[in-house]
Amino acid sequence: MNELLTSIGYNNWILPVLLVVPTAGALVVGLLKAEAAKRVALAVTVIELVLSLGLWVSVDTSSGTMELVRAYRWIPQWGITFALGIDGISLMMVLLTTLLMPLCVLGSFNYITKREPGYYALLLVLTTGMLGVFVAIDMFLFYVFWEVMLIPMYFLIGIWGGKNRLYASLKFFIYTMAGSLLMLVAILAMVRGAAVATGTVSFSYFHLLANAGAPGLVAIAPWLFLAFFLAFAIKVPMFPFHTWLPDAHVEAPTAGSVILASVLLKMGTYGFLRFAIPFFPSVAYSELVQGVVVSLAVIGIVYGALVAMVQPDIKKLVAYSSVSHLGFAMLGIWAATVQGVQGALMVMIGHGFSTGALFFLIGMIYERRHTREIAAFGGIARVVPIFSLILTVVALASIGLPGLNGFIGEFLVLVGSFKTYPIATGIATTGVIFAAAYLLWALQRIIFNRLDKPENETIPDLTVRELVVLAPLLIGIVWMGLYPKPILDKMEPAAKRYIEMARPGQPVEGVTITARAEGAR
Amino acid sequence: MNPIDMRTPLGIVTAMLPELIVVATSLVVLLLNAWRHRTAADSRLAGQVSLVGLVVALAALAALWSGGATAAGPPHMVALDGYRFAALGVVLVASIGGVLLALDYLEREGMLAPEYYSLLLMATAGMMYLAGAEDLIVLFLGLEVMSVPVYVMAAFNRRNVLSAEAGLKYFLIGAFASAFLLYGIALVYGATGSTALTVIGSATSAQGLPVMAGLGLMLLVIGLGFKVASVPFHMWAPDVYDGAPTPVTAFMATGVKAAGFLALVRVLMVGFPNTIDSWQPALGGLAAASMIVGNLVALTQRSIKRMLAYSSVAHAGYLLAAVWAGSRAGAAATLMYLGSYVLTTIATFGILGVLGRGGERDVTVDSVAGLARRRPWLAFALAVCMFSLLGFPGTFGFVGKWAILSAITAEHHRALAVVLVLTSLVSAGYYLPIVRSMYMKDPVSEASHAQASLPAAARIAVAIGVVLILVFGVAPQPVVTSTVETARAFVGTGLDRVADLRP
Repeated sequence: MNELLTSIGYNNWILPVLLVVPTAGALVVGLLKAEAAKRVALAVTVIELVLSLGLWVSVDTSSGTMELVRAYRWIPQWGITFALGIDGISLMMVLLTTLLMPLCVLGSFNYITKREPGYYALLLVLTTGMLGVFVAIDMFLFYVFWEVMLIPMYFLIGIWGGKNRLYASLKFFIYTMAGSLLMLVAILAMVRGAAVATGTVSFSYFHLLANAGAPGLVAIAPWLFLAFFLAFAIKVPMFPFHTWLPDAHVEAPTAGSVILASVLLKMGTYGFLRFAIPFFPSVAYSELVQGVVVSLAVIGIVYGALVAMVQPDIKKLVAYSSVSHLGFAMLGIWAATVQGVQGALMVMIGHGFSTGALFFLIGMIYERRHTREIAAFGGIARVVPIFSLILTVVALASIGLPGLNGFIGEFLVLVGSFKTYPIATGIATTGVIFAAAYLLWALQRIIFNRLDKPENETIPDLTVRELVVLAPLLIGIVWMGLYPKPILDKMEPAAKRYIEMARPGQPVEGVTITARAEGAR
Repeated sequence: MNPIDMRTPLGIVTAMLPELIVVATSLVVLLLNAWRHRTAADSRLAGQVSLVGLVVALAALAALWSGGATAAGPPHMVALDGYRFAALGVVLVASIGGVLLALDYLEREGMLAPEYYSLLLMATAGMMYLAGAEDLIVLFLGLEVMSVPVYVMAAFNRRNVLSAEAGLKYFLIGAFASAFLLYGIALVYGATGSTALTVIGSATSAQGLPVMAGLGLMLLVIGLGFKVASVPFHMWAPDVYDGAPTPVTAFMATGVKAAGFLALVRVLMVGFPNTIDSWQPALGGLAAASMIVGNLVALTQRSIKRMLAYSSVAHAGYLLAAVWAGSRAGAAATLMYLGSYVLTTIATFGILGVLGRGGERDVTVDSVAGLARRRPWLAFALAVCMFSLLGFPGTFGFVGKWAILSAITAEHHRALAVVLVLTSLVSAGYYLPIVRSMYMKDPVSEASHAQASLPAAARIAVAIGVVLILVFGVAPQPVVTSTVETARAFVGTGLDRVADLRP
């Protein structure tokens, strides 16, 4: 397989092609009629998925550093290049994105009934934006992708969203932009500081990483870190920056919610792993910052779960559960042990699958009943057995039932961070219990109890198209739960490299990580 | 091209060719008006002649610029360097935009007075003198030649009381500002013994800034501050922008502002380069005040035209921040931002001009609802303009803002950079609702936007503007190269800092 890819020079062109294909597709899709637009969009995203799968074999993740690095000329006068690269962490994020996009397109076929060409074109533009964020290794380029991605999402929520969509879309836009604008100033200040130290003006990630400790920058490092922190913490979102999330999630169309939960939130944690912490490790691991971040993460875990419990709207429930799950990711990242970081990465991927699937399921039932109120359902397991079965499996995965994907990530995070932050980890553990409480209670009220509402008696069960949308996610959920080793192995070198950057001088232990995880299971 | 000796008649004609062409065209149009000034066709003819004149001037400018014309001998009244050529380019583009937008607009609104075009050309000539002046006397002449026709243009719709008010207000405040400027020139002359900026520059470099020169500089900045509508000298701007016919507003918001800023850059960089500490705090304060007040007040406006007026105050703030940097990077950023601002503003007002009738004062955020449904291309163009004014990546506006931020952070003064990005965030609060209204709301009635269609000339202006916004947003290399090149005009001014490290 690898020979075949080498023979077609796959590694040389794949990253730029992955970025160009969706946008080129968007230009075509935007000009088509509704029916054709759907099909072409699906074709483009499937092509994108097939193209990206080669990365699994062709990217050598064992070094833990950036592979396939290519820098194209862009704005040489300002030291800006169109530089792309990929490592084990971004590989998983790219594959998660390319896998979800065809599902999002397919899952929107019936949900979206107005202005379809624009909708599918925006989904494709969004794909380019998201992939760009994960493969950009030039800070200017990264910033451009990070911001440009906002526009399609803004329109997706604002045009095809629910009743309160105007408010939600504006809030989403302003919150995210607020964080990133300060990051822009920080990037410029870093470039300038590095230029003073070395005489080279460059926005290259490696250049900045090497010179982030330049004398001029050390003094202002706390401020620079704060700017990066705000940008990423809003995106994650960490408590108390999370308030845009429930609004955006609830109002967005199904595909929008899926993308938000599965990919966009991961950009925040990815930003911490890739940029904020490696740039300023001494600030990130100062007593104060550790205390603040770990507290916020734990508050997010518990608060998100508690608020989820009382939501009458199932979509809002899942939205708050995201706040809780991402808290685990943040805790694991800051723990800076191999288990903790690997666990955080598994939470990121696992949450992408299980929450993505939950949003799809909610969207499907909403298409049938036009309500998301938990109280409007009850006892529908008898009417829609397949739907109920899948919902149960996915909910259990989200809770963290051993054998499904949610367990691995949260378990690793808790193990990994126990050594570093025992008390915080102890409190975080309650989040797992609360998760069981809110999801099982919701399940009980939706699919069990008595079938006491006549309008629920005639709901049709899932169609073949919907099963096709859910199948890949279910396979992923079970596969990652039973045999996560391939994924963990791919990410381990990058995770270790992250720890080396984050905690220089500290021995990186935990080589037998995967064995331990399996043993634990 | 050989160095041009501006002491010879031929030399001066060559060096001033673009200005001379514009002045000559203005006179031709005026003469034409004497015989043909009654019908719509007459007005259109005047416009077309003006357009030809401006394009020829642009061609002459391109020839001079690409030939790399330089001056021989001692300094002169008017600069002969890349920065002036770039400045003339910006001004000419603004005024071509002003003509293109006016061609059908005046006819539609029943303002059949072909004098409009000769006034516009005279004002353009004034802007060109102002932007290229290397002597305070020429600077003042340029300012007056620019201002007087623009007063008339603001009041051009003489049947409309608001237009008359705009003209009167602009005239009174403008005269006031000119007095400041003139007094400043007198004081600077008294302190340094010259009105030539280069001589002033060496005097202030050698002896520092005497109190009298300092006062003069302050008055100069205030005078130009009025023209570019920076806070606290912006009071006239909303009423004048609002009351003037829309193409005039476009011309004022772009041409006058651009010429004012380019003159300010040259005065400060050539006249007072080594006393940067004396003017930086003042400029920084003006910049911050303009950004904050302009953006916050724009947030409260419902009428789009008035909102754009306040937003232009905010943009004056961003530009002042670029000038504040006092480096070549800052001069380059000023030029680049002006380029993006001029293109975007012309396109924006071009679109605004067809969205309403009778001065477009009643076009509100709500009345553009559903435009995307009825006029997808028009809505797309306006959305691109809004994102560019907001400074969003992918548009020329972002590249300009990036250049400004880059120039500010190079001076290790991050507070101003933080103010700039935070106020930009505030501006999202009024640019985005327009996009939202166009795309996410339904048209008010069946008949909404039935008349919203760009006439041919305005369509050309808007199309070129939008295409360039997008092209330079993605591939800004040519603009970056040329602005960085032209800012090299300011060499040996003690401004070589890290920002200028790169070749």
